[in-house]
Amino acid sequence: MSEPILEMRGVEKRFGGVRAIDEFSLKVEPGMVYGLIGPNGAGKTTIFNTITGIYHVDAGKILFQGKDITKVEPHQAARLGIARTFQNIRLFGNLSVKSNVEISCNMNAGYHLGDALLRTPRYRRVTKETEERAMEFLKIVGLADKGEERASSLPYGHQRKLEIARAMATNPKLLLLDEPAAGMNADESLELVEFIRELKERFQITILMIEHHMDVVTSLCDACTVLNFGKTLAAGTVEEIKKNPEVIAAYLGGDE
Amino acid sequence: MKILIQQIITGISIGSVYALIASGYALVYSLLDFSNWAHGEVCMLGAYVCFMATTVNNMPYWLSCVLGIGGAAVISFLNEKIAYRKIRNNGSPNMFLMIAAMGLSTTYQNLANVIWGSKFKQLPKIFSVGTINFDGIYIGTTDMLCLGLSAVALVILLLIINKSKFGLHVRAVACSSRTAGLLGVKIDRVIAVVFMLAGALAGLAGIMYGMKYNIYPTMGNVGLKAFIASVIGGLGSVPGAIAGAVLLGLIETVVSGYISSGLRDLISFCLLILILLVRPSGLFGVDVQEKA
Repeated sequence: MSEPILEMRGVEKRFGGVRAIDEFSLKVEPGMVYGLIGPNGAGKTTIFNTITGIYHVDAGKILFQGKDITKVEPHQAARLGIARTFQNIRLFGNLSVKSNVEISCNMNAGYHLGDALLRTPRYRRVTKETEERAMEFLKIVGLADKGEERASSLPYGHQRKLEIARAMATNPKLLLLDEPAAGMNADESLELVEFIRELKERFQITILMIEHHMDVVTSLCDACTVLNFGKTLAAGTVEEIKKNPEVIAAYLGGDE
Repeated sequence: MKILIQQIITGISIGSVYALIASGYALVYSLLDFSNWAHGEVCMLGAYVCFMATTVNNMPYWLSCVLGIGGAAVISFLNEKIAYRKIRNNGSPNMFLMIAAMGLSTTYQNLANVIWGSKFKQLPKIFSVGTINFDGIYIGTTDMLCLGLSAVALVILLLIINKSKFGLHVRAVACSSRTAGLLGVKIDRVIAVVFMLAGALAGLAGIMYGMKYNIYPTMGNVGLKAFIASVIGGLGSVPGAIAGAVLLGLIETVVSGYISSGLRDLISFCLLILILLVRPSGLFGVDVQEKA
């Protein structure tokens, strides 16, 4: 077995007296699509927030490619190669579709304020490269013709895709998707499954996703963890999970 | 008619000085959602730095101006670095930032009073001729200088915000700093540079204010005018703040010219209240709720 790309060891996060996640451990191998499922309020998004440095954990360790990232800040996590999308889409609504992607593209663009003011050749070159890269990602998600529109004016499905394009433009090794199929019907989620598969093949990334649509999870995920009240209820392949009586009880509501 | 044209040009000129302060104020507001009440004092301190350099240390005027602008940028940066950053990062409500800014404002005013005294100081004029006669319309040379320099500074600012990578980051952080951070934007650095830019503009404004009028410890109250201008144009919008500032300068000049200069501030503040009551999103309307 190769070294896990992401590993969480005994992670705990409290909000006041509430343990949002408790003794949570996880191992994601490179190239996997890993599912994180569980009822609302189980702590799934909190896990994403700890990985990306929005929250700092109260106990435990998080390793990314063997490197301790327990205490990194969000922009450092991004630079290490972790990108994410949000459950409730968070685009820069006032900015154009293209600008949204350009922000991620030029994370490492090399020119100074002086270059920008004087419009030096270097500035023009870097700007052109950034633009081309942004357009490339927009093409992949099928939004190339919408580059100049305001992000907030796009229909919901397109906003989701734009958010994924924006995350991909940071050149991630690990992509965290928070309920990518939320609010989609069966056809749309099928399309999404294809799209995510394509992304994974093309960019050789590892994906950790939170999802409620079991058909999406079944067709995409190599393994998954089921959470309930911040604790791991079960972990394994999708087939194993589906048969697990505790999981069925948590989802369907067992006898009280 | 000629008098009216004269008034209008004077109005735009003082409006352009307000615009320098208001645009910095609006930039900070757009990023951090708080009213930086110490911004006017940065402007005052910039003016004093320039004054000390030129009259006390006999440095060349251009160098004194550069020092004044640079000094204001450094003070603005330190305000953020020492006071605001800590408050931002320890999860306090935004109200605390505003209160810290008020504290800084009072501290700087009193400090200036202790160091330089409350007496009015004046920066030397650059031109020996006070006014130029354009076919019966008399325009102050200082007015023209203010207008020209402000216009250049503001155009550069708008270019930076709208055309550069840094500007894109500023706009992204204004939209959602958390999301921008997750995409690799170094938020603290963006904010620090914005404070420096805002400080430099305020320093330039302070110097020009000192050339046109006087320098005194409470001159930072001109920051209130920048606040009014910003509200007129829509809080958090830089182009709005510039337009609001020019409009405010015009209204003030016309009121002092045709009604009474004693009523000038009264009218300005009535305008503020009126806008807040009737059109809180400002004339150029960034949606207030969206921003808050």
